[in-house]
Amino acid sequence: MLMKPFLDMQLGDRIVTLMAALVLVLQIAMVAQRWIVIHIRIFAAQSFFLAVIAATIAWFNHAPHLYVAAALTVVVKVILVPLLFERLVVRMEIHEEIEPIVNAPLSVLISGGLTLVGYVVAESFYRPDEPGLGHNALAVAISLFLIGFFTMINRRKALTQVLALLSLENGLFLAAISLTYGMPLIVELGVFFDVLVAAMVLGILVYRIRETFESMDVSRLRRLRG
Amino acid sequence: MIERLIENATQLFLLLALAPLVTGVIRTLKARLQTRRGPGILQPYRDLNKLFRKGMVVPDTASWIFAATPWVVFFSTILAGLMIPMVAAKAPLGLFGGVLAVIYLLGLGRFFLALSGLDTGSSFGGLGSSREMTISALAEPAMMLAIFTVAIGAGSTGLTEIAGAAIGQNWRFLAPAQMFAFAALALVLIAETGRIPVDNPDTHLELTMIHEAMILEYSGPCLALVEWAASIKQLVLMTLLINCFWPFGLQPTWFGFGAAVGIGWLLAKLLLLSCAIVLLETVNAKMRLFRVPELLAVAFTLGSLALISTFLF
Repeated sequence: MLMKPFLDMQLGDRIVTLMAALVLVLQIAMVAQRWIVIHIRIFAAQSFFLAVIAATIAWFNHAPHLYVAAALTVVVKVILVPLLFERLVVRMEIHEEIEPIVNAPLSVLISGGLTLVGYVVAESFYRPDEPGLGHNALAVAISLFLIGFFTMINRRKALTQVLALLSLENGLFLAAISLTYGMPLIVELGVFFDVLVAAMVLGILVYRIRETFESMDVSRLRRLRG
Repeated sequence: MIERLIENATQLFLLLALAPLVTGVIRTLKARLQTRRGPGILQPYRDLNKLFRKGMVVPDTASWIFAATPWVVFFSTILAGLMIPMVAAKAPLGLFGGVLAVIYLLGLGRFFLALSGLDTGSSFGGLGSSREMTISALAEPAMMLAIFTVAIGAGSTGLTEIAGAAIGQNWRFLAPAQMFAFAALALVLIAETGRIPVDNPDTHLELTMIHEAMILEYSGPCLALVEWAASIKQLVLMTLLINCFWPFGLQPTWFGFGAAVGIGWLLAKLLLLSCAIVLLETVNAKMRLFRVPELLAVAFTLGSLALISTFLF
């Protein structure tokens, strides 16, 4: 009888670890991806796995408010934001490939290196005597964060930078749920509303940049200096 | 003594007989998925039979390398095939060497194939050789990292130990390190067997061909040997992948009822993997040659993540 909660915990840990690994793989796939529509769909898949992590932590730690966070993740990041962006892509008639500043193989290798950094940083937070779910989820979260930053620097076009920002936000969410087992619900609601509004505003901004400069290349924004 | 002989003979027979069948099944399934009728699954056997009975044309410029290559390729591949666990966890020639020996025996075959491509002095051959070497130089590090991950888990580079360790632990293949290593090795498999995102195995008519360009000068029995060796190599790599990562049904010994069950499981797993390859080949277009390094960079990164995460997760 005593063993059962422990076994449960192990199963939970395994599921969280597996999902975290998938999230990381998808993040690296995003770095290597050239087609923006597929990029958006990978983001949706990544968010879905994130929602699964949230739901798993909610189940094994008996934190019901995390279910709300998981459901919100599905609604906002898996359905609404990708839909919004895909419509934007259709409306702006983007046909060309994403052209990163550092070429794709090197970006992927750099992302691998950043993952290593994430692990080294997260190692200092790990306490083996404190049983908990997915200590490596934090390492994955930090890696997502770093790779997201790198991708933002590495991209020229505004829309892809917004996508990188959103995957960076996924990292933040993962860090929050794996460290604290869920922030208070009101904070999470605020964050999700924030993401949705940010995505919409940025979408409109990207459209405006495109209208004004006839390109989404952010380096052209320097013209504003006059 | 007799037992070892039976083990060797059975595995040799499986390698020789099953390899063209796997190629045939993949071709037929692919044709069906593209709503073509396609040739029957026995077509590769008929092709080999026909080629063995034909005459041979050897270019005037060819040296002994050209004549020796089919034999070197064929026998090094067979030897590599006898070192991997197919039906039972114990590989017949497991004592000769572990997974590193397997990889470098396959490497020896590739080296000779590339040499023979250069040997005849035709421009296509040289082009194929240089492409093959470029791709294999990029695929090898990724493969080694994935293999080392598995070897660390088993505590040995011997394939018998690796397969044995994999049988013992339930659901180990769901661990992140194993998953990363599996993904890396699957990408390498595609590159090494010349499957579609990297190379097109069905045509001699493309300027982007790699493997076919190297063997363009071969005809008759020599071509048959090279083709046979290519399909055996594919079978070896597929078996390596499935028995290192999904060891279900791998038998502890070779004898009795167990062997039949083992062969049944092997066939089922091979069919499953073939279906995956067919699906992948059908939904993807061939990559431009200069994009292949990107795919292999992803494989390399996955492989290194696998190795890192065996220590960290």
